[in-house]
Amino acid sequence: MTKSIPLLEKIGKEGRVWSDLCEQYGVENPDPPWRVFLESTCEVLNEGSCVLPSLERRDEEDELVDELYKHIPHPERQVLALAHSMILRGIITEEDLEKHLKTVTERLNAA
Amino acid sequence: MSNSHDHDHKAAPMVDEVSDFEALEVAVRELCIEKGLFTQADHNEWTEYMHTLGPTPAARLVAKAWLDEDYKQLCIDDPVKASLEVGINWITSMPSNFGTPSDYCNPRILVDTPTLKHVVVCTLCSCYPRPILGQSPEWYRTPNYRRRMVRWPRQVLSEFGLQLPEDVEIRVADSNQKTRYVVMPVRPEGTDGWTEDQLAEIVTRDCLIGVAMPRADRKADDKRPVIPAIHPYGH
Repeated sequence: MTKSIPLLEKIGKEGRVWSDLCEQYGVENPDPPWRVFLESTCEVLNEGSCVLPSLERRDEEDELVDELYKHIPHPERQVLALAHSMILRGIITEEDLEKHLKTVTERLNAA
Repeated sequence: MSNSHDHDHKAAPMVDEVSDFEALEVAVRELCIEKGLFTQADHNEWTEYMHTLGPTPAARLVAKAWLDEDYKQLCIDDPVKASLEVGINWITSMPSNFGTPSDYCNPRILVDTPTLKHVVVCTLCSCYPRPILGQSPEWYRTPNYRRRMVRWPRQVLSEFGLQLPEDVEIRVADSNQKTRYVVMPVRPEGTDGWTEDQLAEIVTRDCLIGVAMPRADRKADDKRPVIPAIHPYGH
């Protein structure tokens, strides 16, 4: 049984998924604009640095989704799974991520 | 006071909110850069590649092959060479220009006939001929498609709206790290005398994956029609 990561569990529970936002704002784009950045991150982690090979990441994404993120749609589940895989491997820590996430959120929401 | 940004047309609605998931994507990416796993320039290169590459090169390859038997044979014999003619170099183009040119280097063109239909899947993950076809659609990576296409292709194709007669054989090609497949569908009726540009327009992404057939009356960038319900709810 895969252990949940409290920070990611909280985002999975409380974060607003793209379909909800689309409904509220009357937007019809099928994908959130950040999806392409997420795909690029996955690709460069595979191709450039070989830190997280695609096949390994995708296998793990399937497992994590089955066990922890089943209720969350794509690509939201993909970003959770990516962060989860990176924390599992010690590439980043939950503490680092939490701290940086706070900074990013403040920056992106600055008026 | 009038707003200087007012225009005659109404702006398309936008999501005016940063979700936790969007912030998470940024945070993960920035931590990777901070740790030196890749640079922002590496990331930009990928993003631009994925944004700008559409299915056009593969559609053009098919259109050229429909018009030129020799080129069609080249597509079968040497897809790497054939791809060069539509501007795609599998060996040096993104995404295989890192390290050794071992990945993505074995493209195969699967030629349909009136009695043989090919369809592409990746049962392991989501391998896809991206250098020539762009990003894979979301459904391509779902377990539903990956698991069921190899077992019940006729049923899954019918769920895409593609009903094939029983006498049409279906072959499912399972992609992998090295071998990537593109389907060359049968040229549809009603396209006699068409130019390569005209033909390329009707070869949609789904036709190239094999879950649809090209039609003379449907272009890749057509606005999809809204079809009224036959029995609308509440009537």
